[in-house]
Amino acid sequence: MRPGYSPFPLLLPPSTSFSPLRTPRIARPQQLLFSYPKKRHRAPPGDSPTRRRRRRRRLAKMAEQLYTVASDSETTGEDKSQPSFPDVAIGIDIGTSKCSVAVWNGHQVELLKNTRNQKGMRSYVMFKDDTLSAGVTGGAAKENAHEERDILSGSAIFNMKRLIGRMDTDEVVQASKTLPFLVQTLGIGVRPFIAALVNNMWRSTTPEEVLAIFLLELKALVEMHLKHPVRNAVLTIPVAFSRFQQTRIERACAMAGLHVLRLMPEPTAVALLYAQQQQQLVNDNMGSGIEKIALIFNMGAGYCDAAVAATAGGVSQIRALSGCTAGGEDILQNIMRHVVPNFDNLYAGQTMDRIQSMSLLRMATQDAIHKLVNQETVEINIDLGNGHKVSKVLDHSEFEQVNRAIFDKCEKIINQCLVDAKLVPEDINDVILVGGCSKIPRIRSLVLGLCKKEISYKNIDALEAAVSGAALEGAIASGVNDPSGSLDLLTIQATPMNLGIRANGDSFAAIIPRNTTVPARRDMLFTTTHDNQTEALIAVYEGEGERAEDNHLLGYFKITGIPAAPKGTVEISVCMDIDATNVLRVFAGVVKPQGPATPPFIEVRMPTLDDGHGWCGQALAKMYGKTLDLAVLPKKLQP
Amino acid sequence: MISPRPALSPSFLAFRPGSLSPAASPPPSPRLHHAPPPLSASISSTVAATAAPGHAAAASSFYDVLGLRPGASAREIKAAYRRLALAVHPDAAAAASSAEDFIRVHAAYSTLSDPDKRADYDRRLLLSAAARRRTAALGRSPSFPAHRSRRTWETDQCW
Repeated sequence: MRPGYSPFPLLLPPSTSFSPLRTPRIARPQQLLFSYPKKRHRAPPGDSPTRRRRRRRRLAKMAEQLYTVASDSETTGEDKSQPSFPDVAIGIDIGTSKCSVAVWNGHQVELLKNTRNQKGMRSYVMFKDDTLSAGVTGGAAKENAHEERDILSGSAIFNMKRLIGRMDTDEVVQASKTLPFLVQTLGIGVRPFIAALVNNMWRSTTPEEVLAIFLLELKALVEMHLKHPVRNAVLTIPVAFSRFQQTRIERACAMAGLHVLRLMPEPTAVALLYAQQQQQLVNDNMGSGIEKIALIFNMGAGYCDAAVAATAGGVSQIRALSGCTAGGEDILQNIMRHVVPNFDNLYAGQTMDRIQSMSLLRMATQDAIHKLVNQETVEINIDLGNGHKVSKVLDHSEFEQVNRAIFDKCEKIINQCLVDAKLVPEDINDVILVGGCSKIPRIRSLVLGLCKKEISYKNIDALEAAVSGAALEGAIASGVNDPSGSLDLLTIQATPMNLGIRANGDSFAAIIPRNTTVPARRDMLFTTTHDNQTEALIAVYEGEGERAEDNHLLGYFKITGIPAAPKGTVEISVCMDIDATNVLRVFAGVVKPQGPATPPFIEVRMPTLDDGHGWCGQALAKMYGKTLDLAVLPKKLQP
Repeated sequence: MISPRPALSPSFLAFRPGSLSPAASPPPSPRLHHAPPPLSASISSTVAATAAPGHAAAASSFYDVLGLRPGASAREIKAAYRRLALAVHPDAAAAASSAEDFIRVHAAYSTLSDPDKRADYDRRLLLSAAARRRTAALGRSPSFPAHRSRRTWETDQCW
């Protein structure tokens, strides 16, 4: 490594040199706030053509850069000393509860362990005086290692993955108000206010910042292990993540000096690992090479995903994807409310004694749920303070009763996947169960029952599959070639949600339907709704709702200068394009009448919205819904 | 006529499945103006241009895209799709490749892997082949360059 090279140039003073042996401590969290890298879409201005070419060659297979990452802003001699290490992207699985990181070590995927010898590291960031420490090191030295009760003391922020990119009207944010740290909502469609307890005072932060601090520690761990800086990463995300949430993950990565090469839905990362295993079986002459259909079900603490993948020849084609926000956190909250019926009254408002009492309840309940996996019944006995004691025996049937709504959600997304993939349970060859909640007996029996299988696929580790797949994708997308052919793999992705625009009043016209293979390009014709309408509003939404308002607003723009004509005669084409790196672009313009009087087409990269899209869509509809509306051009009128 | 939209790549408009109208129709892709590529002097390629106008830019049949003969089995189609995906998908391809190639391969696969869509497509292929034979019987030699350009003009009109 070059002397004086700092992998955290934006975060530490220039004099700080990076020692591989020392755990970096992020001394001043405030600095992070001021170090938001500038948004950049293409090569930076002032980049010489040679440099640009070289960069392009180096990043030949890399996504167009979204943000400047911290280490990239070093301008002096960056290209002179071409990194001598292979720039292979690492794989990161940021879980709601636990996080793991894996690298391609040249022969295979290797999961890294932290100093406490853990592969799965608790996802949280502890705020203490003026130091921050994340769950990667878990407080580093043994004497101040964080215990679960420290994490639940109000001083640590966790469950970032549930909060990131969500508005305060979101039910997931509302449910997060029972966490020990502060989650304040106004219920109007703006970001929630979150804060950690530091010296008896709430100190504000954001989910992106918390995630960035966590990723920074994770990056340091990898660099310590690899002994060279890392820049690129493939991260896994839940299927249910909106494109807006994906931009927040990218922002957090940029803050931590990581460039996001791909964001992979978790089950698709598992599908890639499965493709590799199937390919190895064929090479070992144990497999047949015939297409195999796998149903992948992933349930962690925050989210639940299902996917159907058709695999042969090292290529895994995602036939259907479906996801929802149901996870271990919801199960935990249900059980807590079940054992303490007046839970919401008891814990409204975060005072010190309430936080303490709630953390006791949380730990006892969590422990009970874990025990219930291997036991018939479990006893919960805790003293919550203030003379409030809980004593309860919980068995499986009660557990299932209390969480029925969650199991119904799981059932719904699996059925949805099978219908979308046009398959019946008999078509499925393997059922792959991953994620922490896949250990729950009821979940196993439910998924296997729906797929009419006796047993699940054996060769995949439930907690390591997603991160291993991400590391594989990282190596493939970085252009690593393995002579043994073990990287001749591909996951052909599909869109998890409909993408379209508002049309015909409040309706949603899907232009790219869900489960369309990516890269994809689709277009649709629209027409004006008024005579001599010269402007039209294109409001782009993503989601499953039939009404535009039920979906996520991604952005909006106007088409102006439409030639004056009777309503229904002008043809406006709206085309959506998703490239291999999952970037969405919307093209729109007038295609009929043609002539010099028609305005140029408009190209917009989505999402354009940065914040507050809860009320933005409503405001747009109120202001322009009637005047700038478009109608879908009926097929029969399309020649 | 096209000049007000210089920013637009022709390929963007070339893909317009199901929404083709004469006025909105893109200018014939440059590839159509050329004589058919040497390999596709066979019937299927020229026919496909008329049979599947939405994919005219490909200037070859779905079978040609996948490198298969028209009677290929479902298994052959799946194998060819995966082999090509590994070769042209931007994620896996060794050389820089555009999404266009993969979109084309996938479009061919999604039609041919669905028995109903494939039957419909095969029927249209046959019909156009028959129509083409009739035209040939009327004395137009398809190999004669002048007539070829004329036929292109005709197909343009009927789109």
